[in-house]
Amino acid sequence: MAKIYLNPERCIGCRSCEVACEREHGHPRISVGTVSDLAAVPLYCHQCDAAPCAAVCCTGSLRQDGDMVKFNPDLCTLCGLCLVACPFGAIELDSMVQRCDMCGNGTPVCVTTCPAEALVLGDVDVVTRSTRARAAAVLAARLR
Amino acid sequence: MSARTPTVCPYCAVGCGFYITRSGIEYMQDHPVNEGSLCPKGNAALDVLNHVDRLRYPMMRIGDGWIRVSWEEALDRLAEEMKRALREMGPKSIAFLGSAKCTNEENYLFQKIARLVGTNSIDNSARRCHSPTIVALRRMLGTPAMTNPITDLALSDCILLIGSNLAENHPVVARWILRARDRGAAVIVADPRVTPTAWLADLHLQLNPGTDIALINGMINVILREGLENRSFIKERTGGFEELDVSDYTPDRVSSITGLSAGDIVRAARLYAKSSASTIVYCMGITQHTCGTDNVTACANLALICGQIGRPGAGILPLRGQNNVQGACDMGALADFYPGWRSVDDSREIDELRRLWNAGALPVGRGLTADMMPDADLRFLYVMGEDIVNSDPTVSRRRGKLKRCFMVVQEIFMTDTAKLADLVLPAAAWAEKEGTFTSTERRVQWVSRAGEPPGEARPDIWILAEVAARLGFDFPSEPEEVLAEINQAVPAYRGISRRNAGARGGIIWPCPHPDHPGTPVLHAERFSTPDGRARISPVHHTPLERTSPEHPLILLTGRVVLHYNSGSMTMRSEGLVKREPEMHVDVNPDDAARFGVADGDTVVVETGWGRARARARVTPRQKRGTLFMPFHFPETNLIASELLDRNAMMPELKIAACRIGRAD
Repeated sequence: MAKIYLNPERCIGCRSCEVACEREHGHPRISVGTVSDLAAVPLYCHQCDAAPCAAVCCTGSLRQDGDMVKFNPDLCTLCGLCLVACPFGAIELDSMVQRCDMCGNGTPVCVTTCPAEALVLGDVDVVTRSTRARAAAVLAARLR
Repeated sequence: MSARTPTVCPYCAVGCGFYITRSGIEYMQDHPVNEGSLCPKGNAALDVLNHVDRLRYPMMRIGDGWIRVSWEEALDRLAEEMKRALREMGPKSIAFLGSAKCTNEENYLFQKIARLVGTNSIDNSARRCHSPTIVALRRMLGTPAMTNPITDLALSDCILLIGSNLAENHPVVARWILRARDRGAAVIVADPRVTPTAWLADLHLQLNPGTDIALINGMINVILREGLENRSFIKERTGGFEELDVSDYTPDRVSSITGLSAGDIVRAARLYAKSSASTIVYCMGITQHTCGTDNVTACANLALICGQIGRPGAGILPLRGQNNVQGACDMGALADFYPGWRSVDDSREIDELRRLWNAGALPVGRGLTADMMPDADLRFLYVMGEDIVNSDPTVSRRRGKLKRCFMVVQEIFMTDTAKLADLVLPAAAWAEKEGTFTSTERRVQWVSRAGEPPGEARPDIWILAEVAARLGFDFPSEPEEVLAEINQAVPAYRGISRRNAGARGGIIWPCPHPDHPGTPVLHAERFSTPDGRARISPVHHTPLERTSPEHPLILLTGRVVLHYNSGSMTMRSEGLVKREPEMHVDVNPDDAARFGVADGDTVVVETGWGRARARARVTPRQKRGTLFMPFHFPETNLIASELLDRNAMMPELKIAACRIGRAD
């Protein structure tokens, strides 16, 4: 299944993904961390295959469902374990647990809105293949 | 009305398309420039439309308060005051400020009113962004505009970005630069600051502020010494090369002026000259200097001697600021140009307009530019969609003087400028009216109405036609009819219609006839100068000792990604304001230690023009010896320089000598 992959080299730190996600969901589920003012990295849910958030969830509110982690707010006790368990800090609490739901009917809004194409949606082999193609083009250009 | 209405973003000049739906924004994936993407401001664009602060009724000043009046009363009063000023003091006593955020049709009618009542004192905010571009590129290339479309950047093999922080100011342009990098293009960024744009660079030239000419001439020196210039292009397509003497600008000397290593200057020169297609992108870091016109000239010289112009991926790209700043200038909302770039000094060219407008005589010679208006003896000032108090330093400091004249402000919000007015007219915002906007790449796009303006607010075009009628002129009030007149007045727009401008992505001028596909790349065969050749013109670095013991630092100004110009729109978007809530000043850690400033302190920054408070942000990305303040907050304008580039009447907003200290 397609997931959102990040190319941190491309991110220009504009925070468009945050504003778009907030517009869609009322609360942003992606945030751009700027490190020492020298680089920016969007932090968001990677739909981990072995998801720590689902592993620590006592009620089954968060559970692995195929390639995605699904959230059922009816079972959530707001215990907050998932917030800390997520290695990216991608889950927040704003009266209810806020986490990525792969919105946008196919392509999440953060991916479409990204001016720099730093966020891409795709299967892992498609994404790595295009990364390889890009790297090869750059190396070839240097040899010219 | 259909479920979704295509529109063009009202913020910067990139011209991104999106749809307005009942529930909000829908991305437009087949738009040629943004391909669905939007920057944070674009994502927040709808916040202004139904904002509670929108002006809803015409208002007239009575003493220190306001009363609501009818349109009839407001328009009658406006006409009466304008006629009184004309009768008692003549056309010299009235002035107009057009808007780079209004449509082409509105700016065309606005300047036509000014000219028909006898004055060239009509200007717009282009004065403060690209007036040096207008002077230099018109003289050298014939057309004062971007030579290539934005998407062409992806075809470049070397991109030189100088004085542009496009990753924050025109984020979608970064998309096309990254595409070029994917193909192995070299990106060179010349900027004193480490910006997100500099993150894109293979080579970041962190030059001293105000040394751009030295850098460019140094690159030309290397190119000529190594024989990398394009001899056949120089011979066949240009004139003036023999006068270009840059022998003084050796890498070593340029190194001492710019603070760059000689090796980096040589490397930049070779990358630019040897690539099969190179592009120069520049912005206000080049133009907002007392030597702004010379800075632009230097950039164009570099492109011309290398023949890096007139081909896909090779050109000069001045990025314009506002969504219709190119169009407002094309329409002649400028003190020195009539519509179609006809000089106010050329009575022969003006004569064509005199016949078209059926006018007796039209004013000749440059009128008052924006910065001259506060000090002029004005009786009547008509401001359409400009917050001059928060964007023009001269006006900020001398706003009291404007109160001596009768001032009309046509706006969507009660800006600080509107607060000074005698009459405030509520206008429709971009998505509540129809007409064309011209983006930075000369792309003319028709915008459809997606909703109704609030209260009694009206499209500017309706207001202007009503004003004109009261002055005895019969103006069309439908955008399509006005566009038909623009076809006659502006040669580059001759074939532009609602049909081709309304198609996805619109049409890029020049478009000489209705079936013409538009002209994305200029100067392919010949330049648009009278003899078809480009003019190479020597320019030189003037050393200016700006700092002093009293003002030991250099203040740089610019923008941040989450705000836009004077902030009248973005400061009303909750999602933007909470991410960038207050005035800050970036300080290098060494300077912070030297002047006893810590991160988070409230500090006072003082120049020869004034003092301002801000929150200090200590960051290694700020170059030592410089400070940075964004100009979206009123304080920055209060301390910006008033020195002018006399060629273009551009104020030197970019740099000023200053000092910093803790507020207590």
